[in-house]
Order: sequence, then structure tokens, then C-alpha cells
Amino acid sequence: MIKTGLKGNKTVYTFPGTEKETKNRVKWKENVVAYTFLGPALLLLLLFLIIPAIMSVYYAFTDYYLLTPDMRKFVGLDNFINLFKDPIFLKSLANTLKFVVWVIPLQIGAALGLALLLNKQRKANTFFKVAYFSPVVMSLVVISVLWLYLLNPNEGIINNVLTYFGVSAQPFLTSPKQAMFTIVFVSAWQGAGFQMLIFLAGLQNIPGDVYEAAQLDGMNKWQRFIYITLPLLKPTSIFIFITTLIGAFKLLVQPMVMTQGGPVNSTMTVVYYIYQTGFTDRMVGYASSIALLFGTIIGLVTLAQRKLVKEEDD
Amino acid sequence: MRRKFGPLTILEYICLVLLAILFIFPLFWMIASSMKPEAEVYNNMDSIKAFLPSFHPSDWFISYKQVLSRFHLIGYIINSLFYGLCVAAGSVIINGMAGYAFAKLNFNGKRVLFGLLLALLIVPLETILISQFTIVHKLGLVDTRLAVILPALAGAFNIYLFRNFFMAIPAEIIESAKLDGANTWQIFLRIMLPMSKPAVATVGTLAFIGSWNDYIWPLMVLTDKSKFPIQVAITAINSTEPVYTNQVMAVLTISTIPLILIYIVAQRYILEGIGGSGTGIK
Amino acid sequence: MKKWFLVGISVLLIFAAAGCGKDKSVSSDGKQMVTMWVHVSDDSEEGKVYKKRVDAFNKKYASKNVKAKIEFIPRSGNGGGYEDKVNAALTTDTLPDVITLDGPNTAAYAKSGIIAPLDDYVKDQDDLLPSIKQQGTYKDKLYAIGASESSVGIYYNKKMLKEAGVDLNTLPTVDNPWTWDQFMALCKTLKEKYNKPAIDMQLQSKDEMLTYALTPFVWSAGGEIISKDGTKAEGVFNKKPSVEAMTFIQTMLKEGYTTRTPVKQAFETEKYPMKFSGVWTVTDMKTNFQKVDYGVMPYPVSPKTKKLVSPSGSWQFAMTQKSENKEWSAKLVDWMTNKDSNLELSRTIAALPVRYSSEKVLTKEFSDQMNVFMKQLKKSGHARPVTPAYPQVTRAFQQTIDDISFYDQNKNIKKVLDTRATEMQAAIDKANR
Repeated sequence: MIKTGLKGNKTVYTFPGTEKETKNRVKWKENVVAYTFLGPALLLLLLFLIIPAIMSVYYAFTDYYLLTPDMRKFVGLDNFINLFKDPIFLKSLANTLKFVVWVIPLQIGAALGLALLLNKQRKANTFFKVAYFSPVVMSLVVISVLWLYLLNPNEGIINNVLTYFGVSAQPFLTSPKQAMFTIVFVSAWQGAGFQMLIFLAGLQNIPGDVYEAAQLDGMNKWQRFIYITLPLLKPTSIFIFITTLIGAFKLLVQPMVMTQGGPVNSTMTVVYYIYQTGFTDRMVGYASSIALLFGTIIGLVTLAQRKLVKEEDD
Repeated sequence: MRRKFGPLTILEYICLVLLAILFIFPLFWMIASSMKPEAEVYNNMDSIKAFLPSFHPSDWFISYKQVLSRFHLIGYIINSLFYGLCVAAGSVIINGMAGYAFAKLNFNGKRVLFGLLLALLIVPLETILISQFTIVHKLGLVDTRLAVILPALAGAFNIYLFRNFFMAIPAEIIESAKLDGANTWQIFLRIMLPMSKPAVATVGTLAFIGSWNDYIWPLMVLTDKSKFPIQVAITAINSTEPVYTNQVMAVLTISTIPLILIYIVAQRYILEGIGGSGTGIK
Repeated sequence: MKKWFLVGISVLLIFAAAGCGKDKSVSSDGKQMVTMWVHVSDDSEEGKVYKKRVDAFNKKYASKNVKAKIEFIPRSGNGGGYEDKVNAALTTDTLPDVITLDGPNTAAYAKSGIIAPLDDYVKDQDDLLPSIKQQGTYKDKLYAIGASESSVGIYYNKKMLKEAGVDLNTLPTVDNPWTWDQFMALCKTLKEKYNKPAIDMQLQSKDEMLTYALTPFVWSAGGEIISKDGTKAEGVFNKKPSVEAMTFIQTMLKEGYTTRTPVKQAFETEKYPMKFSGVWTVTDMKTNFQKVDYGVMPYPVSPKTKKLVSPSGSWQFAMTQKSENKEWSAKLVDWMTNKDSNLELSRTIAALPVRYSSEKVLTKEFSDQMNVFMKQLKKSGHARPVTPAYPQVTRAFQQTIDDISFYDQNKNIKKVLDTRATEMQAAIDKANR
């Protein structure tokens, strides 16, 4: 008889070769199987994501200038000290937060709305699905040329419509006050189809008879939505929320293509600033320190968010 | 199935159509602009004609002929197709396997690894470009097709997505399969993947689109132009003066149509399960 | 099913692995290879010219133990893609023997030891235009030679000007340019007639175009962006001449003669009568907008100094420090920019020449509009500031323009200049350490 553990106050004993010991051996085998499944992904992530990220963390403490990699020196916390004094960095942080706060409800709300609309059987659904998804596959060049034209303060169609209804023409992307909000709208418009896809897949996972039962119980459409759809959609929603949140923090392409960070740095985001500092200005060390600090901030936000909305499993 | 065709339905359709116009008009503008002479593209900008091809059908394919004769697009398209398919297939398998492990298998360090996974979502890919290149170089893979494909295969996002889907598959099915004598690999291939068609289609589609639209990375690791994907050509066309908007639109149309087609096919699988057969449980 | 999957994936992977790296330093017939990267696609007209010239090089030196190989790395708008690749190659020590680089990058690349001086190998430099030499020189050594030149001018719609009552014979020429005040008078006439901005100055571009096109105004006023020795921006950029130049631009905006948000292709579609643009628009007009009868006039000049200054600069060829075959690499650089190459390139893509000798030939071949550009360049071309901190300097300049274009919020131009000059100074100090 061997002592194999404690259960509450009682000590548990088993005989060798019995159930509990078999369970421990199975655990080892399970580990092997699990890691075999994880293996390829883990290896690739290690090579192409984790190691480069660690290298970047190291660079954050150096004065690495892109064109002279061999002359790289360790400078400790110098980059971070400069970071806190850097007005453009602070502005980009504020801009990014502004963007995140506005785009998340707009984009996720739109995605959910579209998914719900399409969650019925309809012959024309395929067309609508393609339509709503098309901004996701379109080239950003096309999208930005078009929106830049539509939003032109003098001659754009949108302002033409507004003035027709008596509203004065808006500067949109050319105004420091409106530019970021405009980008929020264009981004939500562009990404909604993507999340709609995932929401739809999640909605499909909800068996139809659950709804039928609820209907028989006398629940109306709104009640069915609140008490059945939303709870059953929770894992999908959490997934979408986290990934959209992190994606929003990483905003880079829209300001890069549409406003180049302006006007007056009102659309400069942190990742854009990292890109500009690292690639254009060639200060890789400084850029890496921004990336490290920012990554930590996002990490903390995500952690806090996860604690607030406890996941069902793990 | 009884259908109520009332005022609510009409409202629904109006909503659907208005939204569709809102989302799809750039696509129309792009296609229409590719089918007219250059000057018309800008002359038509402030009227509805912007969304219609030229009124002279003879002008419709001029820009296509021009751009195809200026640039050797066929080879690039084949490359893009190859990269896209490899990345899509590989992504599904590799990320699916990892997602399965997180969803259904027990192992030491599960919590830690999952936390690491979420942490990896944060890393902005543009900032590690040069480091990634250094590694590719150390592996001796510079200027190979493998260098374009490998880094794109594993993704935290896709693993997370698969994990969520697999978690929804009830344990009873797996148990009964085990009783039938299936090993883990067979369970994965014969049960998990087929039952997660939505996830498979989603990951496959997104992986394909991501690979198709990638410009910087292939350019960085490749020198041999016979391996370049179409994005490189598109960017070149877009920055080689003189830039002809209608030709740019033509090449963009050529490059967007496959994505739309793939999406049309894929979304059917994503929506398989209308009527309650989602997880197959009754 | 599982079997097919595995077989399929294996086949794909094998296919993918095919095409492994080969030894690039020696060609198949045992000759020494000199590799060159260019920033254009081999499908483009420019790329085709480069390929032709490389073939001609190999033909001429067929008896020697050397072979040139060209590789095409198409860049995106601002050089991205291509420059990223150069940076990546730099980090892994895999740069080719010869590269192309954009003019303003000369100082940074030279200082960091990426490119090597050409003086020992390229003895005859007198034929090169002064602006080319200025652009490719760092600390008195010539590091790079431009492949082509470019310039900016004012395109005007002859019909629209005539209809506004302007006598085309009184328009400025390179020998007799107009002052800023005379130019604004013309803008006034046009604005009153057409009730639209008189000229599209591409102020919406927010990129290198702003620096390229607008710095000549500062130079014409007698000012500088940074000091000639590259060490000072404070006390240089924020001096009176810059204020005058910026005031001119701000006035153009305030009076509505130009706009921060022009309609795209407004000049080409005959909505605006004038456009500030580079030589490349000539080809665009010829191919797509033949109906427009247009002319080109030079930069207006500061009323105080009456000095004509115009921009210059483009991509150049240079040899890398790591090249093991400097003699032949330098020869290739020289070859790609010699008279024949230059003539071929200029004729094919309507670019301006880099040498006096090619310029003489092209005067007879170029259109009137092209000749205005060429003459303006020869007489008044001024290269952009030479400093390793160029990215920050040009950004500060672009943001200056951005700031003053909001004329209501930024009436105090000197203050804006002070702020931006300080930024430039910080970047320069850091770079020169």
C-alpha cells in the first residue's frame, strides 16, 4: 500500500497497479500525445514569433541603429526614460486609446448586427455575405483612394449630401478633431465583415431546437436573444472581443495610408510610431522599447479584461 | 417552413440592401474603373457614372490588355495561388492540432502555454520583421518558397479560434469514439475537423487571404522574381510612374476576384448547419 | 483520407524546398559575378532599360573575367519594400555589390559605411551636373551617381488662362521668372474667373513630395534648411528667409489660390487651371489626357533675391563597402550612369539627364515642356539637405507645412519654425555623434 495523496483530511492509500496509479501513468502518455499535437505549431511559433519577440525585447535596451548593426551598445533604461519625455509617443498613446474605445463597440456591434440579420435562411444570403465581407478582401489602396475622395471637404459626395440637408461641410480627415473619428468609422466598416463571419459561425453552433423549445415556452424574439443567443454566444463573443481589442490597439495601416499620422499627429498611433521610429528613422533600439512598453500595457489590459469576464474553461 | 411575408420582412430587406450598398460600393467602383479609359475615371467621380463601366463596350478591356502586356501577371498569380493554398492547408492542420490539444487534451503547463498564446496575439508583426528575416537567413532559407510559407503557418489567433470551436464539441462523442478504439489522431481527423467545418473554413479562408495580400515579407525574403507573388507586382504597378488608375484597378480586380470566389465557396461551409445540425446533437 | 493529406502536404513541402540557395559569387562559366539590385520591376520601362544596359556591359567586357547580374526588387511608393530588403540584407551581411538608393539616403548610408567612395575609380566627374554631384557627395567624397534627374514645375492649361484674359506671351520663362507677388496676381485672376483654387500644389501629399517641391522656396529666399556642414538646423531653418517662404505659402492658402485638399487629378480633368508637379506628369498628360493643351512655367522667385531655385534629385547607383570586387563594381556604377545609359533612360521614361553631354543631345529631342524642365534644372537645380538624419529633417519640414497650412491656428510662423528647427537639431545631433 502506498500513500498517494490527500483528500481533504483523509490520507488516501492505494495498492500498486490499481486505478489511481494507472491514472498517473495515463497522464504521462497524455502529455506526450498533447505535445505531439502542439509540436509543429509550437516549433514554428518559437522560431518565427517568440524568438524574434525576445530579440526585440533585448534591442529595447540597446541603442541599435538600423544601418550599423555591429555598433550596437547596451544602454540600459535610457530608451525608456526618453520615452516618457517624448510628446509624440504620449500623443500616439492617447490617440490609440481613443481609437480603441470608439471602434470596439461600433465594430463588434455592427458585426453582431450583420450576423443576426444573416442568420436566417434566405436565397439571397450569399450575395449579402459577399457584400458585407468585401471590404475585408479589398486592397487598402482602393479603399483609401475612394474614401479620401468621398470625404473630400470641398467636393466629396458625403459633404454634398450633408450640405443638401443643410448641414455644413465637414473637414473629416483633414481636421485634427475629426480625423481619428473618421478613421474609427472606416475601420469599423472595413473590419465588421470579418467579425461577422466568426459570429455567424458561432451562431450556427447553437442548435435550432433550443430556440424552438424557448418559443414553445412563450419567449418572444427579444427574450430569446437575451436569454439564449447571448449566453450561448459567450465564448465566441469573448474571443471576438479579445482579438478585436488587441487588433485595435495595433492600428497601423489605415492612418499610414490615409492620413500619414496627421493632421498634426492626431492620427498617429503607437504601432505607427514604432514603425516610423524603427524603419523610417532607423532607431531600432528606441522603437523596440516602445514596442516592449506598449506590449506590456496591452497585456495588462487583456489580463484585467479576462479576470473581469471569467471564461467558462481554464 | 412557414414564412411570414409581412412589413417586417420588407424592412429587413431594405436594411440588408442599404447595408450591402454601403459595404460593396468600393468593389463596384474598382471594377467599373477598370473598364474605362483613364480620363473617365476622374471625370466621372462626382456622378453615378463612377460606378458604371464605360458606355463604349470596346473600352472595357483596354486596361486589362495594357496591364497584361506591361507586366507578366500570370506567373505571379500562380505563385500567389501556390503560397495561398499551402498556407491555408498548413494553417488548418497545424493550428487545428494545437487548438485540439488546448481544447480536449490534458497536459502539464496548459495554463501557462495558453497564457503565452494570448500574449503572442499582442506582438505587432511589423516590428519583428528584421528579426524574422535574420532567423530565416540563419536557417538558410533565404530566397526559397519555404521562407514565404513557414512563418505564416502557425498563428495564435487561429489556434485560439480552433480551440474555441473544439471546446463546443461534446465529450460524449469523443468518449464513444475512444470506446470504438480510435486513437487521438483519428479522433482529430475523422471527428473534430469534419465537425468544425465552420472553423476550418474560417481559418483556411483567412489564412489564404492573409497570404495573398502579403507584400513586405515575400519581397524581403525573395530575390528571384520568378517566385514573387502578385502583391509585389501590384505594388510595382502602383508606384511605377506613370501610374494609370484604370490599369491599377484592373490588376486589383484580377487579384481580388479569386479572394471573393474563395470566400463564396468557404462561407457555404461556414454556414453548414442551418436548421440545427450545428453540432449534430439532437 | 489521412494518407492523401500527408502525401499531398509532403509533395507541397518538397516543391517548396526546391530552389535552395546557390553560390552567387561565381557564374556558370567561372567568371566573377558582380550583383546589382535595382528598385524597379523588370516589367517596367525603367527596368527594361537597366536590363539592356547590363547586357551591353557584359557584351563589352565579355573577354574579361567578370559578369554583371541584375536583380529586380520593386519598391512601393516611398521606397518601402526595397529599402526594407536592403536593411535586412545589411543585418545579415548579404548585400549585393551594387545597389540603388534614393538621393537623400546618401549621407546615412555613407556615414554608416554601407556604400564606398567612388573617387578612386570614377576619375571623370566634370560631365556630371552639379546637382548630381551635390546629391551624391558626403564629406567631400562622391559616393553615388544619379541614374536620372527630375524637376518640378508649374503646369498651366493654356485654354483656361487665355479665357481668363491672360496673355500667354507674358508668362515667365527660366530666363525671366516671376516673383511670388506676380505669381499670386495670376492666381487671383484665375480664382476670380473660375471660382476654384488656381493651382493644385499637392499639399495633400504629406510625404517626400512636400519637401521636394517646397524647399526651393526657402532657398530662393536666401535661406537654408540646415547649415552647409550639416551640423546646425537651429538658427538656420528658423531664420527670416524661411519665414518669408512660409508666409508666401500660407498666403496662397489664405487667399484660396491653392487648397490643402485638392480634388484628385483636378488639373488633368481641367477643373483647376494649374498644377505644381514633377516631370512625370508629362508622360501622364501625353498618354491619358491628350486633349489638354498645356505649358510649363518655372518656379516663382523671392521678390527680394530674384533667385531661381528648383528642386533636383532622384535614385542613384552606388557600390557597397562589402563588395569584394570594387574595381568592377565601380565600373558598373559608372556604366549605368554614363552618357549612353543616361540617353537611353531619359528617352524611355521621359526623365531628365544627369550629364551635360546627354543634356546637349536631348535638347533637340525633348518637347517644349520637357525643355523648360531641363533648362530650369541645369540653371537652378538644388539637391536636398545632406544629413544622416534626413528622415527626421524631412518629416519636420513636412510637419512645418502641415502646421502652417492650418493658418488660423498657426498665425505665428516663426514659432512653428522654432519648434521644428529644435526637432531637427535634436535628430542631427544624435546622428552626428
